[in-house]
Amino acid sequence: MPDLTPGGVLLAAAVASLVLAVAIAPASVARRDLVWRGGVALVAMAVMAVADSLDIVILVLLAVGVAQTALSGPRDFAVRLRAPVVAAGLLALALVFGRVQGPELLSRFSAVGLVGGLAAGVGVLPYIHALDKDGASEPDAIWIGFIGPVLASAVLLRARAFLPPDAGADFGAMLIGLGVLNLLWGTLGAWWTAHDSVAWHYSFMADWGLALCGFGLFVADGQTAALLVLFALVLGRFPLLLIARAPLAEAGRVDRPLNLLVAAMLAGSAPFAGFAARILLLRGAAETYLPLAVVLAVGLLLWLPPSLRLGRSLSRPRGRQAVALALLLALNAAVGLYPLPILSAAGS
Amino acid sequence: MLEAGGAVLAWLGASLIVLADGRRGLALGLLGVGLGLAAVLWPTSPALEAGALAVGGAVAAAKRLRNGTPGWVLMPPGSTPRLVLCIAAALLALWLGAVVTSGSGASLRIAVLAVIGMTGVRVIGDRQPDVVLSGVAGLALAAAAASSLASGQVEPAMAFGGALLAATTSFVRWREPQRA
Repeated sequence: MPDLTPGGVLLAAAVASLVLAVAIAPASVARRDLVWRGGVALVAMAVMAVADSLDIVILVLLAVGVAQTALSGPRDFAVRLRAPVVAAGLLALALVFGRVQGPELLSRFSAVGLVGGLAAGVGVLPYIHALDKDGASEPDAIWIGFIGPVLASAVLLRARAFLPPDAGADFGAMLIGLGVLNLLWGTLGAWWTAHDSVAWHYSFMADWGLALCGFGLFVADGQTAALLVLFALVLGRFPLLLIARAPLAEAGRVDRPLNLLVAAMLAGSAPFAGFAARILLLRGAAETYLPLAVVLAVGLLLWLPPSLRLGRSLSRPRGRQAVALALLLALNAAVGLYPLPILSAAGS
Repeated sequence: MLEAGGAVLAWLGASLIVLADGRRGLALGLLGVGLGLAAVLWPTSPALEAGALAVGGAVAAAKRLRNGTPGWVLMPPGSTPRLVLCIAAALLALWLGAVVTSGSGASLRIAVLAVIGMTGVRVIGDRQPDVVLSGVAGLALAAAAASSLASGQVEPAMAFGGALLAATTSFVRWREPQRA
């Protein structure tokens, strides 16, 4: 069996997610557009995953940003292009500050640039992409739920080798701070908003909060947890968003066992992949700094009601959507029960 | 001397991208950024890689001349903040590149910091697609040039990739959202 890398695992999940997304896309989504958008993103993600330097990741980010923006979207061209350009600009400045000789403070600026660029590219606090109340959020969701995970693994894994040890500690602390902020903001936002489509967007932010905390912990459990969370995001939450978009218009809410199973998957209950991720994250946090584990535990508990809401928003999937939903549940349960391939990828 | 001149030329090009709304101004700005960064890299990097940036900027400029708002439209009314940005970015880049940081390659540091900062702000602050894409082209060229800060030479993949991306942005066609 070939050695798996975090980028490779997420890329494989993205391919499966795109296939599912195209198969289940509701009538309101143009399949051809989805294939183009997803295909362009997959090529860019593949290059990011194998790129040998952060410079290439920045160029690819710019290229995929322009390509995604050139396709149609709910907002003006220039507005859609802002986030990837801000991300690329901040990452480029981070590289400049990290490479020049000078005071130690410059390497800390470099860490700030890396974290800021990543947040802008993915679309989490402090740079949230626009939230659409009418459910037309798929072009933004492609960043936070599809391209973002591979971008994050590409940036964060290379950043560790790039930053000096002192700045690396600051970098981890910033990731954890941003992660906790996104976890709480996403959880409370998903709970309090009146719109299901916005609640879905906030749910991505909450998951990103967990992933950022995991990456920031710099212990093996944290890295593995982050990778598992991102895997569940790409091959779980992202296709579910597409399934949810069809009934969103009908505003139907159902409490069938299937909806409760989906809610359990979104909340990270056993035996789904999110459960292993949360256990590993809490263990890593407790090992590093116990109060952080307490904060994360509170955030995870707060996440239960929004998960029930999102599960109910799926209404009654039928036909291909029901098959896809069953497949997603099975895949997530399989990874939750046998996470060894992903654990080994995180170790590599 | 060539490096210092290149840094000034790159800053002037980025300033034109910031100050102009018309295609002539944007095209000249792109040409300036490409040639300036190539001149900065010329003494330390292989000619092919440095030349690639100049060619990328020139192709982007040539295509930009054929689409976008006609004319120069240089410093239209309300451009004072943009002018302040150009001067402040130059001073900040000069301070960071020559005073705060040390070692050889000060011209490269100044040029890269100025171009990344100015084009980035231009993209954030404008809504015209041709202007925004010109900013992206400038940013791609600067990001490619910045790779030489690691080893002293610009990476071939970055030089050709950055040039290709800069040139391609001028060919991009966009779709605006349909409004009822």
